[in-house]
Amino acid sequence: MEQEVYDCLLCGTTLHCQISWSMLIEKFPPVICEKCEGKFEHSIRAEKGHTSLFQYNEAMKDFLHRYKFMQDVVLAKVFRMHIHQLLKNQRGIIVPIPMHPDKRIARTFAQVDELLKEAHIPFIHLLEKNTPDSQSKKNRAERISVAPLFSVKGTVEKKSYILFDDIYTTGTTIQHATNALLEAGAASVTASTLIRG
Amino acid sequence: MLIKSQGERKYKGFLLEKNVQQFFAGRLWKREMAPFPPWKVNLYIRKGWLQVRGAIEEGPRCSRCHHTKHFIVFDCNKCQAKCVYCRHCINMGRMSQCTELLTWCGPLVRPLRNHILDWQSQFTPLQARASQELAESMRLKRQHLLHACCGAGKTEILFTAIYAALKRGERVCVATPRTDVVLELAPRFQQVFPQTTIHALYGGADVPHSYAPLIVTTTHQLYRFEDAFDVMIVDEADAFPYTFDEALQKAVQKAKRVEAPIAFVTATPSGQLLQMKKAAGSSYIPKRYHDRPLPVPRFESLWRYDKQLLKNKIPKKLETWLKSCIADNQPFLIFFPTIELMTHAIPLFQVVDEKIEAVYAEDTERKEKVLQLRNGQLKGLLTTTILERGITIKGVQVAVVGAESAIFTAAALIQISGRVGRHIHFAEGDVVFFHHGITTEMDAAREEIMKLNKEGFPYGTGSI
Repeated sequence: MEQEVYDCLLCGTTLHCQISWSMLIEKFPPVICEKCEGKFEHSIRAEKGHTSLFQYNEAMKDFLHRYKFMQDVVLAKVFRMHIHQLLKNQRGIIVPIPMHPDKRIARTFAQVDELLKEAHIPFIHLLEKNTPDSQSKKNRAERISVAPLFSVKGTVEKKSYILFDDIYTTGTTIQHATNALLEAGAASVTASTLIRG
Repeated sequence: MLIKSQGERKYKGFLLEKNVQQFFAGRLWKREMAPFPPWKVNLYIRKGWLQVRGAIEEGPRCSRCHHTKHFIVFDCNKCQAKCVYCRHCINMGRMSQCTELLTWCGPLVRPLRNHILDWQSQFTPLQARASQELAESMRLKRQHLLHACCGAGKTEILFTAIYAALKRGERVCVATPRTDVVLELAPRFQQVFPQTTIHALYGGADVPHSYAPLIVTTTHQLYRFEDAFDVMIVDEADAFPYTFDEALQKAVQKAKRVEAPIAFVTATPSGQLLQMKKAAGSSYIPKRYHDRPLPVPRFESLWRYDKQLLKNKIPKKLETWLKSCIADNQPFLIFFPTIELMTHAIPLFQVVDEKIEAVYAEDTERKEKVLQLRNGQLKGLLTTTILERGITIKGVQVAVVGAESAIFTAAALIQISGRVGRHIHFAEGDVVFFHHGITTEMDAAREEIMKLNKEGFPYGTGSI
């Protein structure tokens, strides 16, 4: 097992790594300190076909800002163990919510893909974003009434699919992606997100 | 402007636009963040007056902060390949291999020399001498250490040296590790240099587009400059994080012209700075501008203060001190070693008097709270070492809780003690170090203050 991070990725204090059995098996040494870890709020709600790991709060807002807007890609490691444990035993094909190519190039990375890569979760891209518009700039009514956000690329089989996204707010994104996959012939579609907004 | 996107091809001559030149001169600026339209930037690049370079040099080394560690490799969707970014200065916007930086290499800005120094010198003989020595060093382009005790009137000493440099048409930078100091210094400089464009730069401040011959900035913002200054003054040269962060020292070197002198200004020079004294100019002022001795800290034991506070009890001696300050209507600062202990203690203090608040580095209301203490709306503040320097509050009394903690180095304790008795009419005051055991750092701080007093008053401090 290699330890590649020696200081907390969020606050910079030196990490005192306590080696445990689960770490040896999962190969995910901690990358943030216990104090920072404690600031994140685990999500308790699981709604019909949708689970999230964390509740949106101040610490999470800060995390998203640094990860997505300051483009600190390495922060994809922060929740790798949680994501790994959530998705490793799920039966279904993991499909990340894609970014519009223009936006992905502007950001230099696809934040959802990076989360999965760091968590060692295999995935395939079956969707394509139709517009570069962001959901976060629209209000609820606008979000719900938009034209289909995604189109399907590649072949969708009659299997179970699990959508993965960073944040679930009104559910529009997940709804559009679910519809797109179901129409293309998916047997069932559920969703997991890192954060519940 | 003559040059428009369509007219670009027809117009054969080239007019240098002052605002472009003035903005880029001395700056190291991200191409996408340029405050000009892309076609205009392209025009200057083609002309050869703006140079483009990648933000990560061979090595790798970050072009902006010159750091050589803390690089992250990732699959970049922009480069379609492996890319590297610098995590050290990421808070100022990410620098990666595919980030393009612009530097000005066109004609130099012709500096204005119509500066006015609107200030009546009321120097003590010691100040006058130091001020001359500093100006002389800057003229001869040699380094200088200005070692002056807390409350010696360091800012005023800078005025003449800065004025002389401005008159020579030089660009001057006053850099300090702390935003608070920038906020305090910039208006004072503007007051005495009414004709001079002065920029105050710190994280979150607006970046003015004009050219300033005098810049007051945090050392962090120096990352955005290169080869820019003819005179570099580093105020509070020893303050955290300057001493710890090698990259910030490199930033100072990078931002100034190669031959430009650096003046270090501090009350508590590190060994490294004192070493420098031999090879360069130096001035020493052991005495305050108002000619009264520095208050000497006293030690008071406060055994197991942390346990008592955690049991929601203010230790007896501290409570007595606190109540006497309140009774005498004296503003006070109580320094804590950690934010945790302070946040635990603040409700207990607010029971004694509700007009007590706590401040720490990330506190968004820090400025307001200090202001409220200054104008009497608050009776006292609990604080971390964040307020150890740069602030002046008339008649303030100071206590340090847990003075034996590692964070309270001799330099920090000297700075903390230096908050007291700065005003000419309130030249005395109480400095008390409450401790759970006396450390060598505490002793060193006390001895240094007594030494300064001895040197400042060779015939005894006397009493008036």
